[in-house]
Amino acid sequence: MTSSNEVGMEALTEPYYAALRRGELVVQHCKACSRDIMYPRHLCPFCYGDDLSFVPASTRGVLHSFAVHRIGSPTGFENDLPYAVGVVKLADDVQFLARLWPDADGDWGGYACDAEVVFRAADAAEMQRRPVPWFGLPG
Amino acid sequence: MSDDEPVFIGIGEQPSGRYPNRPFMGDLVRVGVAAVADAGLAMSDIDTILLIPCLHSFADQADLVFSRVVEELGLSQRIKSSYLVHSGGSTSDNTIRDAAGLISSGHARNVLVLQAEKWGSAPVNEMIDMLTANGIPREWEKDSGLSFNAVGALITQRYMHASGSTPADMASVCVALRTWANLNPNAMYRDRTLSVEQVLASKMVTDPIRAMECPMLADGACALVLTSAGNARRLGRDRWVRIAGSGGCVSHYSIGQERDLAVLGWEKAAVEAYETAGWGPQDADIAEIYDSYAAVLASGMEGLGLAPKHEAARQFARGEFSPGGRLPTNTNGGLLSAGHTGVGGGTALLTEGVRQLLGRAGPERQVEGATRAVCGGSGGTYMDSQVLLLEGVSA
Ligand SMILES: [Zn+2]
Repeated sequence: MTSSNEVGMEALTEPYYAALRRGELVVQHCKACSRDIMYPRHLCPFCYGDDLSFVPASTRGVLHSFAVHRIGSPTGFENDLPYAVGVVKLADDVQFLARLWPDADGDWGGYACDAEVVFRAADAAEMQRRPVPWFGLPG
Repeated sequence: MSDDEPVFIGIGEQPSGRYPNRPFMGDLVRVGVAAVADAGLAMSDIDTILLIPCLHSFADQADLVFSRVVEELGLSQRIKSSYLVHSGGSTSDNTIRDAAGLISSGHARNVLVLQAEKWGSAPVNEMIDMLTANGIPREWEKDSGLSFNAVGALITQRYMHASGSTPADMASVCVALRTWANLNPNAMYRDRTLSVEQVLASKMVTDPIRAMECPMLADGACALVLTSAGNARRLGRDRWVRIAGSGGCVSHYSIGQERDLAVLGWEKAAVEAYETAGWGPQDADIAEIYDSYAAVLASGMEGLGLAPKHEAARQFARGEFSPGGRLPTNTNGGLLSAGHTGVGGGTALLTEGVRQLLGRAGPERQVEGATRAVCGGSGGTYMDSQVLLLEGVSA
């Protein structure tokens, strides 16, 4: 049984996915209380206003934590192994899960908690298939 | 203590591990009969059944909702309420709160809490996919490819960063739990020892978690019986267990939204619990804290004041929570060594806490004079931190 969240969600999901597919990162914004929101919600979780839109996000964040999948993955990610995910916090006081690019050595040893990471979208085909934020090491 | 105060008077448990020939409903009724006998009651004394869900099968979970257990136990027409409580790994804590409220409000006289799980016999990939597909906002984060082990890895990475704990420190948590499991005839790993070297030599699964740091899915079943203190006295029980304090904190739904992965909700949950109990972590004789990964347990020990901030893993490495240590912790072996029985992992820890306070843990494992227990559960992707403070009382 699929989640009923997957039906009728396009108004909320499409602007977010579309931005990622253009290689841009956006976050939800509440006009009433001027706060940024992630992940996007049906009503603002701070003031319950419903005048919500998407605004460009900071492309620099801090890595709160990360994990490297080496053995075992959700179904459909077998061919991605090894791959890493992290929790990224932006200055806009929002945070979310993201994929992490391998470092210069092709692994993730260059990453550390509380170090800076920057938004860098994957190629168009990957962003089309799985519209999620990708972050990498600065520089 | 007042007559209508809710107390535990009996427990039952089936061994955890892989038991494909032990049917789900059979485990439930067997463990229920054992707990009711342990409580000194007749089955017909039970008027309320609270059910802790299984995760291995939606059909079996539906049987719980549809009161099959009542009929299987021959209690049709006798039971006032039978219902399922569900908050994942913290269900046992929330179920006990429900049972306590039903008893003190006078709705229930004798409550039977039942749990069984067949995770050890179920197809492991299906179970892992089920865990992975849920507890994550599908529209926003599922395409990141987060697995359940990665949830544990995110917590572990952050905990190791914040505390400066080494891989050997983290491995030692698993080893300490194994030494307890070796004393528990109901533990999945009762016969297998474990060393830090073995853990560190096992394959990296999801950095920084190695294969031997992942919980093993297990079959298992537990039951608890609660009544009022007045009833326990009338029954002539010589010892029972009261709920001295209770506190909780739901800190996230998506792991991507947790503000501090090394802290979770434990600190907030602890404040209210200790306030109601009128005693503190320094007064605890034992601890039974949710431990599906070492860092989850370490963060719980620190948040509940049972170890100094950032020191829990190193204190595990020094044996402070092992048999003979300063604070016996997860004395059944925990989820990591007694077996991860789904929602039941927390129930097994709670059952062990009650068992210890009743003085029924057997000669090898019983903590002498154990009177105060700190019990902690966590559900979903460690979405909540739930605390029950228990006290053994002699008649
Ligand atoms: Zn708002």
